[in-house]
Amino acid sequence: MQHENNPLAPHLQIYKWQISSLLSITHRIVGVINILAVTLICFWSISLLLGEANYINIQLILKSFFGKFLIISLCWTFSFHILNEIRHLAWDLGYGFDLKISKITGVITIIGSFILTVTIYLLGKNIF
Amino acid sequence: MNASTKKWLFLKFSSAILIPLMAWFIINLSSIYDSNFGEVVNFFTTPPSKILFSLFVIFSYLFSALTISEIFEDYIKEKKIKNVANKALYLFAIVMPLLTIISIFILNL
Repeated sequence: MQHENNPLAPHLQIYKWQISSLLSITHRIVGVINILAVTLICFWSISLLLGEANYINIQLILKSFFGKFLIISLCWTFSFHILNEIRHLAWDLGYGFDLKISKITGVITIIGSFILTVTIYLLGKNIF
Repeated sequence: MNASTKKWLFLKFSSAILIPLMAWFIINLSSIYDSNFGEVVNFFTTPPSKILFSLFVIFSYLFSALTISEIFEDYIKEKKIKNVANKALYLFAIVMPLLTIISIFILNL
């Protein structure tokens, strides 16, 4: 069948690196990281059933430097995913297809994700 | 409407709903992650955060199942392996939110 002989996605080692491919691959990797994080968060919420005594161990990890690093990293992966998903939805509506615009929105996504990370963390900590 | 169009529409619909839910959740997560047991339980069990978190989990797994199945489509050539991987993925995307939501409601009792 012809369908079975369809080529797979471009091989990363022969694909010329550019902002669009970098964002596309990062979007997929970040998506997988995010769903693994959501799974951990689900286990975290389920673990609350074990009671306060057991929660102390989880709280120790979350209060450590590693915990803070984990949350700030998640702020970035979520920020990147939100901004790139908005970019994808704009494309679906027919906007931003021009090569130059696409490169500009790509750069905005990368820089914006770092700005959004700081904003989200500070909002969460009620610093604003 | 063919299956691929339906899948694409589901993907875009879940994506549009997930964006504000992700923003809401990550702000709250950075607020409560180092809080004590009572505050965390309070977040997961009181409305509207209980409802919004449940929706966030449902749409996260729906969206990820749809997108990861596309990654399988791109990188797995063997049809049998692809079918098994997709079935495992969809099963996980149903069981995980279900367990989480049930546990939140038990926690509330």
